[in-house]
Amino acid sequence: MNVSEKKLWAAWSRFLTGMVGAILIGFLVPILVVVAVSFQSKSYLSFPPTDFSLRWYQQFIGNDDYRSAILNSMMIGAMAAALATVAGISTALAVVRAGVPGSTIVSALSVAPAILPQIVLAIGLFPISVWLGLQGTLWAVILAHAVIGLPFPFITVCGALASYSNRIEIASMTLGANSFQTFRLITLPMIRPAVIAGFIFAFAASLDELVLALFLSSPSTRTLPLLLWEQLNFQVTPEIAAAASVILAATSLLILAATLLPRLGKDN
Amino acid sequence: MLQMPSRSATGQNRAAGGATVSIRNLCKRYNNFEAVVPTSVEIDSGDFFAIIGPSGSGKSTLLGMIAGYIDPTEGQIVVDGRDIVPEPIYRRNIGMVFQNYALFPHLSVAQNVAYPLKIRGVVKDEIARRVRESLAMVRLEAFASRKPSELSGGQQQRIALARASIYHPSILLMDEPLGALDKNLRDEMQEEIKRFQQELGATVIYVTHDQQEAAFLADRIAIMRDGAMTQIGSPRALYEQPNSRFVAEFLGEASIFPVKSASGKQAGQPCRIVLEDGTQAIIRTDEDAGPGRFACIRPERVTVGPKARDLDNSYAGTVRESLYTPGSIRYRIELNGTGSTLKVRVLPQGNTEVFETGSAVDIGWSADDMTILRE
Repeated sequence: MNVSEKKLWAAWSRFLTGMVGAILIGFLVPILVVVAVSFQSKSYLSFPPTDFSLRWYQQFIGNDDYRSAILNSMMIGAMAAALATVAGISTALAVVRAGVPGSTIVSALSVAPAILPQIVLAIGLFPISVWLGLQGTLWAVILAHAVIGLPFPFITVCGALASYSNRIEIASMTLGANSFQTFRLITLPMIRPAVIAGFIFAFAASLDELVLALFLSSPSTRTLPLLLWEQLNFQVTPEIAAAASVILAATSLLILAATLLPRLGKDN
Repeated sequence: MLQMPSRSATGQNRAAGGATVSIRNLCKRYNNFEAVVPTSVEIDSGDFFAIIGPSGSGKSTLLGMIAGYIDPTEGQIVVDGRDIVPEPIYRRNIGMVFQNYALFPHLSVAQNVAYPLKIRGVVKDEIARRVRESLAMVRLEAFASRKPSELSGGQQQRIALARASIYHPSILLMDEPLGALDKNLRDEMQEEIKRFQQELGATVIYVTHDQQEAAFLADRIAIMRDGAMTQIGSPRALYEQPNSRFVAEFLGEASIFPVKSASGKQAGQPCRIVLEDGTQAIIRTDEDAGPGRFACIRPERVTVGPKARDLDNSYAGTVRESLYTPGSIRYRIELNGTGSTLKVRVLPQGNTEVFETGSAVDIGWSADDMTILRE
């Protein structure tokens, strides 16, 4: 490499560093603004904040609408993530281990919900949910969120299964374990970190999903993002910023858990 | 838990010798490719049966069908009089050792060895006792609480051996178990496996591509080529009476020459043959020695030096290559006027003369030492 090439590379790497920095700042600043706005006493969104107050957090905690929306979101998230994880493990086993015919198509379909526009899914799911008589029930949102959660456990478990040879499972079976015992005693412990991570990502995906909830839920099954959306249309107060900050904190904790828990599992 | 009531699946009693295995017209076809052609072979109880062959010859496919993780296209595998082909892999009660050990990485050494007993519902105290015994047998008691990844390759394979035998299977399958180990460790492990099999008494079916390993371990060897067993016999029979050029070249070293013509053929009587290079030789064999056949001589059957003059076949030769290796002297010797060279191996005694490259020597062999081979 000659001198001018080296200079070119140096300039290119400075440019990339600058880009990444700008993206991070563009991503972080609005988050910081929301958090900052939530800790002040004025009854409108003002920035920069001039005082510190927990007024909007108190109001948020005392609000029954928020309480039931959080409960709904938690319940829907847990059920949807559980369904997505079971489906993701089964599909990953079929694709990676069994090598079912058309496994490429199965893979593509399992990842599709993460890529396709959710509005399309929502428009398609609405009549189905009406037809099945699920419209307005928790199950409608749970099933829809299970669909959008599926790609996460599917991808993490596929990766875990591909990282070791199926000889391990064959060995277990020659030693006398049937398919179920082999899955429970060998496969599942070996893919456990991937399963935990996939579950948490699916849960997080459900927790901040708006579009599907908008189409499929009723006032009694309102989720937290949906309530925020309705509040935004109605009146903008820092209470929304407080609610958003709580969601932000919860999601951040989940992501932290998704990164740390699998590692802990590996050490033990 | 599913268990066969007819079999002592808990393996309470040490298997009284191994099972007899009778493979009948077993074959495996993938689309248009025949991985194993219809093959039949009888393996006696307690036999150490090795299958050798180049990669892709179908030896691992055959083993996979016996273990149960490859479904045969046709044929039967009869173990102690019962066809096991319809049985799922986990009910066959066969032990298997894999090339890359296939130990469970998330379980400790003791948990790995205990696994088959746990699956069979053996009580805790007995599991603990038998795991101790089993680890003692492979001399790894001290490593019981380690993880497999903390062990060397040889140690891991000994754990795999303990795990595959703790339930006293009457058949033990091994798929290139020493393939991932280095040379010195391989030699050591061969001794270990031999001792282990004698203690266990199981029938062993052992796949390898290493002919020396097979010859050291096995009572009988099958040589596979293109999905078929081309010859089955004791290591000695295969080496001394190979039935084809392929077997002669695969098992040990050999000098092989195409035959041009033969005369005076009579079973058990000496007959004269002419090789493609014009060399004449006297042989004594029951095989038809006509054109299209090959004459074969093993390196250690060739005599070099003045003594060669007294033999049935005696020629003048020139040393083209001379190599002293520990325990033997190796030569490549040209038969003068033919352009053909022979591989020669001499076991040196105290007074053995070592011929330098370029020396003129007498070279010869007796009529009984040359065999006739098919392609």
